[in-house]
Amino acid sequence: MHMLIELKNVSYIYEQEPPVTALEKINLNIEPGAFIGLIGHTGSGKTTLVQLLNGLIKPTSGQVIVDGKDIGENKKGLKDIRRRIGLVFQYPEHQLFEETVYRELAFGPKNLGLDKDEIDIRIREALNLIGMDFDKYSDRSPFNLSGGQQRKIALAGVLAMKPGVLILDEPFAGLDPRGRKQLTELLKRLHEQQNISFILISHRMDEISYLATRILALKEGHIVLDGSPAEIFSQPEKLKEIALDIPQLTEILFRLQKKGLEVRSDIFDIEQAADEIIDKLRSRNIC
Amino acid sequence: MNQIEMKHVGYQYNKTGEQALIDIDLTIRSGEFVGIVGSNGSGKSTLARLLNVLLEPTEGQVLIGGLDTHKRENVQQIRQKVGMVFQNPDNQLVATKVEDDVAFGLENLGVPSSQIRRRVDRALEQVDMQDYRDFSPHQLSGGQKQRVALAGILAMEPSCIVLDEPTAMLDPRGRKEVMSVVQDLNQQKNITVVYITHVMREASRTDRIIVMSEGKIVRRGQPAPIFADIDFMNKIGLSVPPVTELAVALRKKGLNLPDIMDVDELVKCIC
Repeated sequence: MHMLIELKNVSYIYEQEPPVTALEKINLNIEPGAFIGLIGHTGSGKTTLVQLLNGLIKPTSGQVIVDGKDIGENKKGLKDIRRRIGLVFQYPEHQLFEETVYRELAFGPKNLGLDKDEIDIRIREALNLIGMDFDKYSDRSPFNLSGGQQRKIALAGVLAMKPGVLILDEPFAGLDPRGRKQLTELLKRLHEQQNISFILISHRMDEISYLATRILALKEGHIVLDGSPAEIFSQPEKLKEIALDIPQLTEILFRLQKKGLEVRSDIFDIEQAADEIIDKLRSRNIC
Repeated sequence: MNQIEMKHVGYQYNKTGEQALIDIDLTIRSGEFVGIVGSNGSGKSTLARLLNVLLEPTEGQVLIGGLDTHKRENVQQIRQKVGMVFQNPDNQLVATKVEDDVAFGLENLGVPSSQIRRRVDRALEQVDMQDYRDFSPHQLSGGQKQRVALAGILAMEPSCIVLDEPTAMLDPRGRKEVMSVVQDLNQQKNITVVYITHVMREASRTDRIIVMSEGKIVRRGQPAPIFADIDFMNKIGLSVPPVTELAVALRKKGLNLPDIMDVDELVKCIC
């Protein structure tokens, strides 16, 4: 089920000497079905924000409201929130521990108190979603799989909980290009076919611009940019200021604009960009 | 002079019987900056570990500055010549203070303390971390930690540094920091660099790349023409930088362009 998440005036302060303000007065609505790309430099507050969203930590002040309910006021509901807002940590494969893929994927649903048949159905569905064959993989040890496969298994473990929101913290880190591409396409497919909203934390602008429908940029605990990929990446100076890159393709299109070739800069697909460049070169005929 | 020579090198893992490297012939000259790319499981990390005798080849011969890694009496000297930096910055720092960490290897070698001081200072300056000497490693960013790990290697005054995906766990700023320090060391100190990476933008900045797949070297040469063969790169599980992809797409549509790996170059060629 799709969910609406609202943050009202949320601040989070780490109690230490001296105290560190990780987030300051954040107001934010995450609409059902969104694919949000969350970007920001290390230490900008991204991880704190997603920990607040699934109730791992409580705001120092302000409210986190999920489907109309303040999750801070509803202790019993917290377990349900954590099921419905799935969090895939960095290097999630480091947390695999069961002897078989089947038992690994059964762990979460079992904790939900589901019966055996329902657990079995969910495991089959989850493996199907990530494109891994049940008969081939269910009895294998997760530790004998490749790094990319292990990461997909960790993701399937969260999918088996049937979350409405899936948060992924740097899911591409350490994957080789093939693994990265497979995961990117998998996330795109999940977003298109399942009723899941996504929040993706990543430094990889090429993937973010391809997947996200909305981008939020954090800097020193504040949201400094909020808009579509086309809007966000049309402000390269601002992105540089917060020490973030723009996608290489966008950079090229901007540089061509500066040189006087009037290409659009809101294209995130190589073929389309090539067509656009050829088109504009033809109509100009001088370059 | 040849820094590294590999002659018909094979490596088979004892436990699994898996053949990680097959008949590798490779020569790297002193002062070269060589990139090694390949998907996971292609053998590149195994190859790196042969260079400072973390592993010994099960077939063939590895020579470092002419010294055979099979010979036990050479091992200490080879490890001093060839320093290694790994992927995870948190696994490489052992001391509670940056300067102690950089001094660690020297102390183990029994270098006199007056010399240690000088070498630590110089190494920290080379990676631009001299202001952090009293910091604890946990106060540093990932990029800073990798630079400290690099300083620990530099203090040993190696002639060659092997880096195994040193930026895989870093953010863009950290990646740039590490890459630019490594480039400086190569250009100004003439240190031979073997740089293993998945990041094709980094690989494109090396003098020469070695492409590995299934334990073999499948391509070698300058990055630009190799990257331009996108179909081949995709087939072995690698991608090329977006700029190269765009240049190839433009060429297919009739634009006359050379092999390109650099944004500046592409922009200049189009306009």
